Amino acid sequence: MQFNSFPYLIFLVAAVVAYWLLPERFRRPFVLVASLAFYASWGLPFVAVPLSVSILVFILGRWMAANPEKASRWVWLGASCMLALLAFFKYRDFILVNVNTLFAWMAAQPVTFAKSIALPIGISFYTFEAIGYLIDVRQGRVKPSTFMDLCLFFMFWPNVMSGPIVRARELVPQLKFRLKFEPRFAFEGIDRLVWGLVQKNAVANLLGIWVNKGFSTKAIGVPSTIDGWFLAIAFGLQIYFDFAGYSNIAIGAARLLGVTLPENFRQPYHATTPPDFWSRWHMTLSRWIRDYLFFPINAKWMGAPLPLYLSLLGVMTLVGLWHGAGWGYVLWGFMHGAYLVAYRLYESAKTAHAAIGQSRIISGLWRFLTLVAITAAWVPFRSPNLHKTSGILSSMFVRFSLGMAYSSAFYVFTAIVLLFCVVEPQVMRKLAEIEEHAGEQGPSMFRILGRPIAYICGFLLFMLFDENNTQFIYSQF
Amino acid sequence: MLPDATTIRNAAREAASQIAGRPIKDGQRLVTSGLIDSLSVLRLISLLEKKLRVSIPPETLQPEDFDDLDVIVETIERVAKSAD
Repeated sequence: MQFNSFPYLIFLVAAVVAYWLLPERFRRPFVLVASLAFYASWGLPFVAVPLSVSILVFILGRWMAANPEKASRWVWLGASCMLALLAFFKYRDFILVNVNTLFAWMAAQPVTFAKSIALPIGISFYTFEAIGYLIDVRQGRVKPSTFMDLCLFFMFWPNVMSGPIVRARELVPQLKFRLKFEPRFAFEGIDRLVWGLVQKNAVANLLGIWVNKGFSTKAIGVPSTIDGWFLAIAFGLQIYFDFAGYSNIAIGAARLLGVTLPENFRQPYHATTPPDFWSRWHMTLSRWIRDYLFFPINAKWMGAPLPLYLSLLGVMTLVGLWHGAGWGYVLWGFMHGAYLVAYRLYESAKTAHAAIGQSRIISGLWRFLTLVAITAAWVPFRSPNLHKTSGILSSMFVRFSLGMAYSSAFYVFTAIVLLFCVVEPQVMRKLAEIEEHAGEQGPSMFRILGRPIAYICGFLLFMLFDENNTQFIYSQF
Repeated sequence: MLPDATTIRNAAREAASQIAGRPIKDGQRLVTSGLIDSLSVLRLISLLEKKLRVSIPPETLQPEDFDDLDVIVETIERVAKSAD
């Protein structure tokens, strides 16, 4: 069940209504059953994967509590098991293909293995949550949870598919479901849900039609410079609206149950520097990487330059690999690592020469370069192979040519979505002001009719573009 | 011996203000607001170690353990307690 499908919306309405009608003591088992049912809708046998994760993490948590002096080894065991699960389901084919390429060079016999296995939905997300939970227990931040708590934590249906990646200490206490119903849960939940559906169906899917065509292996020749840039920008916008749309639907669905999930996006294309981009894009993954990987690595060397630069490159390359088993993702991560290193080098120079840091021209230049660099990095992320990547990147930066091979609708729509991103902070601020103002003056036409009209318009847009590709990009990760 | 909470707070305010490049108020978020990043947290730890003459092993900590002055005081007291 994809989030932007009618079966899911029916499931969501039924589950939310039943949840609030049930006595409090039945809510936890009900949400667990609903979460299991949601997960099973992707394939019943796959339920065994998050259940196994819950069992293993539960046992390790108990052992850590019983033997705190041996806790580190249980964390390593748990993390190794999670990474082994990921390697088996997600990276097996990628590893085999590359090993066999190497063997072919060495004229050795290729390795064969059983046929491909489908990827259990959300595995990249709940395995990271499991590792984070074990480290938090080890550091004494959370007490070992009950088995029921862990099952709910790893399989809570609003965020099981693609996050947000939550910490046990922010979600487990909420999964006691002790809140009484408040109308704001419904308003806030439906607001996010409807906006997410519009972002996904009316923007991301529509851009996806042209992006798929442009990045297809069947697309003949190298695009012109204009088309190369438009394709890269269009994909940057598509993936933002796709994943932000998914995140809004996830956050909205949780809010309907009175649960608050962390935010995942904060207008990422308004980033002024590469580190700023990572504080705005997929914020819960950035937070996980910072807390459990980047900070502990750099703590060992207290931020010394060489280990810092190597860790930035290494960690970001791993972030790329986390997104998918392909060299394009690895290159995307490496490029972002290089951007972060470049910015750190600039920061060191800025400390030495104060005038550089005060220059508005240089700040503006960083803002421009950050956007260009982020856009360029989307090319390997989306391209089907490195040959296509080099073709599009060379047309963008080296082999300049004019020409527009797509329908004018593509260029106009991409420009409109881009313009929306530019004014998004102002639009959101204005909407919040109107909402606040309406609240001060009591019931008004806006307060009475504003939301229903917005919901109807949003739902109509969602239905109008329902026939396009419905899969969320991040659900493949 | 660990200094009292007021001394830790004053040292934390001084160190955080030096790193952020502006005065830090009570309750002001440092990490979650984006005012300082995880590498600046390492510099903050280093400064606090010098000012308070305590050992703060960062390997077992997370950046948000230094998110505001109250949290910093709690973190340093917790670290000192676990070292005893």
